[in-house]
Formats: sequence, C-alpha cells, structure tokens
Amino acid sequence: MTEYANLDPIMHPKSVAIIGATDKPDKIGRVIMQNYLDVGFSGKIFPINVSNSGTILGLKAYKSVLDVKQSIDLAVIAIPAEFVPSVLEECGKAHVKGVVVVSAGFAEVGNVDLEKELERVARKYSLPVIGPNCLGVMDLRSRINTLFLPTYKLDKPKIGNISFASQSGAVGSAVLDVMMHEGFGLARFISYGNASVVDEVDVLNYLACDKETKVIVFYIEGVKRGKEFIEVARKATKIKPVVIIKGGRSETGMKAAHSHTAALAGNYEAYDAVFRQFGFTAAKDLKDILNYAKILSNQPLCTGSRVAILTNGGGLGVIATDAVSDSGLTLAQLSKESEETLRKQMPPIVNICMPLDIAGDADDKRFGDALAVLEDDPNVDALVVVALFQTPGADSRVASKLIHYATTSKKPMVVISMGGNFTELHKEMMESSGVPVYASPNDAANALAALINYSRYRQME
Amino acid sequence: MRLMDYVQAQKLVNSYGIRSVGSRYVTSEDDAVAFASDDAIVLKVISDKQLHKASHGLIALNLDSEDKIRASYRALEKKAQQLLPYKILAQKMVRGGIEMIIGGNTDPQFGKILLVGLGGIYVETFRDFALRLCPVGKKDAQSMLHQLRSCKMLAPDGKSEEMIVSLLEKASKLFTENGMDELDLNPIILHDGTYDAVDLRLLSK
Repeated sequence: MTEYANLDPIMHPKSVAIIGATDKPDKIGRVIMQNYLDVGFSGKIFPINVSNSGTILGLKAYKSVLDVKQSIDLAVIAIPAEFVPSVLEECGKAHVKGVVVVSAGFAEVGNVDLEKELERVARKYSLPVIGPNCLGVMDLRSRINTLFLPTYKLDKPKIGNISFASQSGAVGSAVLDVMMHEGFGLARFISYGNASVVDEVDVLNYLACDKETKVIVFYIEGVKRGKEFIEVARKATKIKPVVIIKGGRSETGMKAAHSHTAALAGNYEAYDAVFRQFGFTAAKDLKDILNYAKILSNQPLCTGSRVAILTNGGGLGVIATDAVSDSGLTLAQLSKESEETLRKQMPPIVNICMPLDIAGDADDKRFGDALAVLEDDPNVDALVVVALFQTPGADSRVASKLIHYATTSKKPMVVISMGGNFTELHKEMMESSGVPVYASPNDAANALAALINYSRYRQME
Repeated sequence: MRLMDYVQAQKLVNSYGIRSVGSRYVTSEDDAVAFASDDAIVLKVISDKQLHKASHGLIALNLDSEDKIRASYRALEKKAQQLLPYKILAQKMVRGGIEMIIGGNTDPQFGKILLVGLGGIYVETFRDFALRLCPVGKKDAQSMLHQLRSCKMLAPDGKSEEMIVSLLEKASKLFTENGMDELDLNPIILHDGTYDAVDLRLLSK
C-alpha cells in the first residue's frame, strides 16, 4: 500500500504559526491573521515576522518559528516565494507538523527550480505541505481559515457534510462563495494549488477517510500520479460520492496519431474513462457540481429509475416529465392500490395518472396524502415534486410536509420550486432542513439521475 | 512507432481467440488469382511508410473476377513504388455487416486504455466510442458497449452483445500482454451472427 500524506495537523491544529503576519493593512499576512482571530480559533496563534518581535494584532510576535520554543502543529507561509524554502527548512527544524504555502511565484510562473527546492526540503523533513500558490484550507469545526480573502468578501459559511477540494484558488473561492450563499453545509475546504508535495491523491485519500465528509466535490486540472489516483478513487467512491469536474476538456489528443484509437483517446477522454470506470460523479459544468452535491449530501441511495412526479401546476408537471425522460429516467406507473386510494382521497378535478397534478388549490393535506401514497407504492423508486408557491394552496405548511417526507422517506426526493421572494423563502426553509430544491426541472432530473447512477455503481461487486 | 508485420499480427490476434479474415501476402498477379480461388478478394499495400491505406488509394475492394484482380494488382504495384519496401496483402472479401472498431492506446498518466466504437469510415465522423482502463473485465465491457449511441446497431440482441463483450475482454488481454503501445482492430465487420477483423494495426514504440 502506498502511503498518503496525513493532513490532520493541517486540518485540526492546536497551534498555528502565521509566517509573514503583519499589522499592515492590505497585506496577505494581515488578512490571514485577522481571519484566524475572526473565526475564533481556540488554539495558540504565533505571528512570525522576520522584522518584528513586538506584537502583531495584539499577539506576541516572533522572528522565526525556531524562536517560538513551543509545539507548532500548522505553519501558514505567506512571504515572497524566494524566501519560502529557507523558512520551510526552519519549520522542519522546529518540528512543525504541517505547512500551507499560500505564496505564489513558483512553477506556475516558470520558477521550477524554486519549487523543486521547496519539495526537497518538505521531503527531507517528511512535512506535509499544501501549495504553493494556493488558498489553503478552511475547516469550520476546528475553526481554521488560511484563506487570504477578507471575510467580508465571502458569504458566511455553514457547517455541514460537503467537502470541497480545488486545485485552482479562483475556482475554489468562487464556488465556495456560491456554496455559502446558497446555504450548502461545508465540512472541509482544501485549495492545494501547485500540488508539489500534497497532491490530489493525498487530498482525495484524506477526504475519503474523513468522517465529517459525506460528499466530496473536486475540481482538478490534472493528476500527477495516475496509478495512485485510481487506487484511492476505487476506495473513495465505495465509501462516499465524489463529484468531480476536470478543467481542460478541450485539449485535443495527439495531433499526428498513428492509429485511430490514439486520435480518439485524448487527454480528457482518458479522464472521462477513469471517472466512469471508478464511480465518480462527473460534471461538465460548475453549476452541476453543486446540483449533484446537493442531492447526494442528503438523499438516500436508490438503484431504481421509476420516478413519480407530483405537481401542483400542470405545465411544470409536463416540463418535469420531459426533463425526467431526457435524463434517462422513466415515469413510474402507479399500482392499482395507489390509484384506488388516490381516487378516494383526491377531489374529482384530480386526474389519477402520471404526472400526478393535484391542482393549484392543493394544500398541505393534499400534498401529504399524495406523498404518503407515492412513498408506499412499490412501483415508485424516486419522487420529483413540483411545488409552486405562487398557487393559492401553497404556503409554509406545504414546505413542512415536503421536509417531513424528504427527510424520512427511504426513497430519494427532489423538489422543483421556481419563483421570487416568497418561493426563495420556502426554498431556503426546505434546503436548510435537508431537501434538495431546484429552480430548473432539468437540474432536478439530472441531479436525480446522478444519484441513481452513483447508487448503481455502489451496488456493483 | 513500429508496426508489426500484418501476418505476424494476425497470428498473434488469432492466438487470443479473435477472429480475422483469411489473408496472406501475394507476390504476383497469378498468386493473387490463386488465393482468390473464385471468391471475391481485397488487395492492400502494406508499407511502414504509409499507415493510412484507405485514404491513399492503397486498397482495392471487391475484386470478384480474375480481370479485376489482375488490373488492381498492377495498379497497386505501380502506386507502391514510392513506398518501398512494401508487400501486397490479399484478403477474402467480407460483405455487408456493420463496422466496429476496437483499439488500444497508452495514456501517459493512466496507462493502457481500451476503446470500442462505431468503426470503419464512421470513426471520425460520429466519434461514437467508449474507453476503459485495462484490464477490461466483463462488467467494464458491458458498460462501455452500453455507453455507445450505436449500441443497438452493433449488438441488436443478447447473443451479439455477449460476443462483443467477450471480444473486448480478449482484446484487453491481447493489448496488455504483448508490449504494444497502440492497437487498431478497424474495421471489425459484424456479419451473420459472427465477426471478422479485416484490418489490424499493432504498434509499439
């Protein structure tokens, strides 16, 4: 078995040295310091600045980690690239357990030798180093945040079970911000940049084993160790869903290929094969990674593809039916028993067929009766519920009913609700209670299909 | 890239239980006529200098009379003068059927990868293919076949699906066990409940 980097000291440090810490506004070292103070990190913070041994933001400062003379779990390095290897050497000597190098100016701008030097020092001391050229990590439970982005620039995160790893800091911070804005619950965030020491294999392995992580969302541009990546992927996708998106899809294959096969099987195609073969949930658009993560983080696995559609609006029921069919799922045929029960319970205006349109005056009672029948019907594997809050019958009691079923049912359920402020309010109410809600019928159906595909992979072998 | 000699490649392919159409090198018009023995045949120029035979007019198809065989032989021989050294391969003509491609490529990151797709002249047009890392087992083979839009064309029933799945497993073994870097079995003609690989390219660095 290959050994993978242990990221625990980085994700759960009891003490943190911030190298490059400063009082000066607008400096990265200041933002990182401020963020540590803002998130209420409960461990020790040691500001390190080569030209300051007074105090920084009220904390005693040191010129070097070697002067601290206390145990340091994590060092965050935010100084000009050329000084990083020697400072890393000091971290090694001071028995620091993990390092995040946020500094840029390494291989990404052609300074390959400088990055090799960083790597050599890290290996010499067996130091897990994240970066360089990265945002680093955020972990709300252990209250760490190495991001050099001022807190007012990102929405406030919620604790949850989705972990997000990104090679790119830009994709990392943008998606993270959207996650926060839309109320996704975050377990860990890791932006690992140039991946010169800790790479995607280590990150995937760590998150696969991490108990707080239920769903992994991964943005990669490439993989450095193909064989090890597959080894870890096999394990990871058997434990939890891994939603992945790879940048650089348009790179063409070998130009002057000798065989048809080599001309077809280009770089992205190989990744696509790996994603399919080893149980990844691959996305081609950034919005999809969150659409998939949303359902995978709170709905039960399901290998059947017979979908019942329940709607309080005719037209959206029709569009939802199209979306379900486009995503490769099938419309469920209700059992005779279900039809009889529904005929007794529903008012005469309700036509007992699929999609089941329970009409615009449907209230929580009617929604509840219909959901109970669909929940029990052996011909139904999964539920798509269109809940339009513009209708006369729909209010917060309908949302509560949907929450009840989506969080207790053994069948996965997605809700389609589109609209303005009143709808947004109920969407937030449902989502924060663990209901995956989508404005677009296509997004809802594709997310459900992704869940079913993943469930089928888990069932194999 | 080194291309394995056709007849040698054919022996290797056959030793994995993969069917290929009857072929041998012919050295003269008379020899080609003798090989045909009243069947329709195909003549192909084989040379390291030109790997894309069809697009350079180095294949003569459906030669169903002695006259056609002789005329085509002479024409190919003339074209091949710029491609010395060359050989002329004669094959029995396989009629009808659907063309499939099975191939292999070596990815710098992930290693050996097997391909299946709609073959022949449609490979580049429709780009309908599926890839899996080797070794390709039964389940992988089934899922790659089902990934194809042309799945029902290539495998219209359970029996033909079984045949292709088993063929993919054999091709995966062939590709991984012989130090090859690239493989093209294209086209493989699916006909009459069976198949024949009618062109083989085994390449190594």
